[in-house]
Amino acid sequence: MKLLAIFYKTLREQKRDLLLLILSLIFAPVFVLLYRAWFPSGSTTYGVLILNQDAGAQTADGATVSAGEQISEALKALTYANGSPMLSVRQVTDRGAAELLLRDREAALLVVIPPDLTASIEAARLGQAVEASPVTLVGDLTNPYYAVAAVLASSAVDQYIQAATSQERPIPFAEEPLGASAARTEFEIYVPGLLVFATMMMMFTVAMTVVREAESGTLRRLQMACVSSFDLLGGISAAMVLIGVAAVLLTIATAWAIGFRSQGPMWLVVVVGAMTSVSIVGVGLIIASLSRTVTQAFLIANFPLALFMFFSSAVFPVPRVTLFTVGGRAIGLYDVLPPTHAVAALNKVLTLGAGLGGVIYELAALAILSAVYFAAGVWLFSRTHLRAD
Amino acid sequence: MAEVMLRTEGLTKRYGALTAVKDLSLEVYQGEVLGLLGPNGAGKTTSIHMICGLLRPDAGRVIPLWGSAKVRGVPVTGNGRDVRARIGVCPQKIVLWDRLTCLEQLQFIGQMYGLGGQEARRRGDRLLEELDLADKRNKQARTLSGGMQRRLNLLMALVHDPELVVLDEPEAGLDPQSRVKVREYIQSLARIKTVIVTTHNMDEADRVADRVAIIDHGELLVVDTPEALKRRVGEGDALEIDFKGVEDDQAESRACAALSPLYDDAGRGITAIDAAHGTLTVHALNAVAILPAILEALAAAGLQPGEVHLRQNTLEDVFIRLTGRRLRE
Repeated sequence: MKLLAIFYKTLREQKRDLLLLILSLIFAPVFVLLYRAWFPSGSTTYGVLILNQDAGAQTADGATVSAGEQISEALKALTYANGSPMLSVRQVTDRGAAELLLRDREAALLVVIPPDLTASIEAARLGQAVEASPVTLVGDLTNPYYAVAAVLASSAVDQYIQAATSQERPIPFAEEPLGASAARTEFEIYVPGLLVFATMMMMFTVAMTVVREAESGTLRRLQMACVSSFDLLGGISAAMVLIGVAAVLLTIATAWAIGFRSQGPMWLVVVVGAMTSVSIVGVGLIIASLSRTVTQAFLIANFPLALFMFFSSAVFPVPRVTLFTVGGRAIGLYDVLPPTHAVAALNKVLTLGAGLGGVIYELAALAILSAVYFAAGVWLFSRTHLRAD
Repeated sequence: MAEVMLRTEGLTKRYGALTAVKDLSLEVYQGEVLGLLGPNGAGKTTSIHMICGLLRPDAGRVIPLWGSAKVRGVPVTGNGRDVRARIGVCPQKIVLWDRLTCLEQLQFIGQMYGLGGQEARRRGDRLLEELDLADKRNKQARTLSGGMQRRLNLLMALVHDPELVVLDEPEAGLDPQSRVKVREYIQSLARIKTVIVTTHNMDEADRVADRVAIIDHGELLVVDTPEALKRRVGEGDALEIDFKGVEDDQAESRACAALSPLYDDAGRGITAIDAAHGTLTVHALNAVAILPAILEALAAAGLQPGEVHLRQNTLEDVFIRLTGRRLRE
């Protein structure tokens, strides 16, 4: 009977803490829906860019053929069993622009088809000696999607050439890694995500610190002293950003001590860490606005943490869900999450050796999102905790 | 007559169907200690929260009458920030930053009220001396005893040298030693500040307050000096006649018989006599007036009392008369 009474009492308490109950119940279903949104076909479609420099050639019967174009079509024709495309193929004309897309991870692979491909295939088919230029695969080797895209694309190209020439690999393949991506160990690949993770954990500290002021009544004291929202939340936030930067520095120092080396300037890494911290502080304030107790803040913070971890590519890459394009740049669904840009910026700096110019978009996006999240956090907190009842 | 420092007009606060405070109109005079006396849940804390601007009244207003506000009559909520900064509040619950030391707490809250760091520190040091906490100045709040924390809680309301000090149940949870210290300290404050004290302890209100406002069920029942209240609504004075030293076992009963002619239902004579443990307690509306007649009647009966004490009725008596209930019920 006691067990039953405790059972009912526990259910009653849960029912009366509705926000937490709802969060607990919808957590997994929401993620199921989100995963379904990532993979509408149930499988990933990998972004492949083709820089087709193939000049084409005339066949013996006088027809003009372009192996490059046929290879493009062959890549587009690759499908999963359910008919969904394996590769999302895009033609490009400028290698520099294509590499930017690779760095931004808007595509996983660039296939550069050489000018003499058709001619070389034709020569090989006729049994002549071939001095063929290679088909070049370019990509960020630390991008987990690169390997899959490269295997799928090179297999398709290889099959086409083999079918056209009836020879084993008459045209060579070359691989050109972006930046220092080829030299990165698996450990080094995870460091950018871990740095962002270090700042993400700050949302717990911020939310719990701020809610503690409300729960203990000290917030009332400060209200009586006519402390403004700006002073109160600005002061707490500045301290938290400092701790966030310290967490980033400590993480870098730890990684450095065991062999990690950055390809880009470290000051830029610290700037990215600081800006991410500001946005995370904003998220912490939003959590604090929804919480009455420190325990509640702790529990609620798990939800955005999981969201940020899974959807910012900090832990593993997620396919882009493009919403619209601005100035040629695709804006994705997960671009509203500050860590998305932090991860991208840190990947570029730490792995690809980018400087300030290479991450200016990410920094701008981080600055805007930080301002928006922080302003939202301050506004919500002022409405929920700082107004006279 | 001292100047009015703060006036409330028709303050009302409702929580759904419950009216926590109903039409509270009150004046607080400069330099006085005003006690808000009432049982738990009477609306005392709600009233002071509205006075301090922490709670928005559903009706009525608070008019501070000091500094620039004296001219403008600024409501405490809304644009009354400068006014709120001149009020010091000691909440009923201990509200401290656990991991700050005593001095750090005072310095910090002083800075929040706009004091410079050095000045806040100097004042903090002085206040810690005044409430015997100087030796704990560098101890974190979480390491202090409950009584010390409560004393520090009180000092937090004073560091910015407010015009009006509002103390919500300042003696609640205090050990006897700390209670004496806090009570003496509040009395010392009264000479230089205006103080509002809420309490459900009639003894505390009686000893500390210059005037007492009795509140019950959110309504102000009466406000006056403790003495006037007891005289006005109580059952008069109590005269305690001690026969402990008298070698006569029948002294009490003989005294009762001797005084029986002085009974008067109309209120001019004795209204009741209680005898217990060698002491006769004679109740009368004006015991002083009939004291000569009492002593005469006792002398005529050959009785010589040991000691005679005259005391007034307590505020508890007043509350019972007003509400039909005890304060602790």
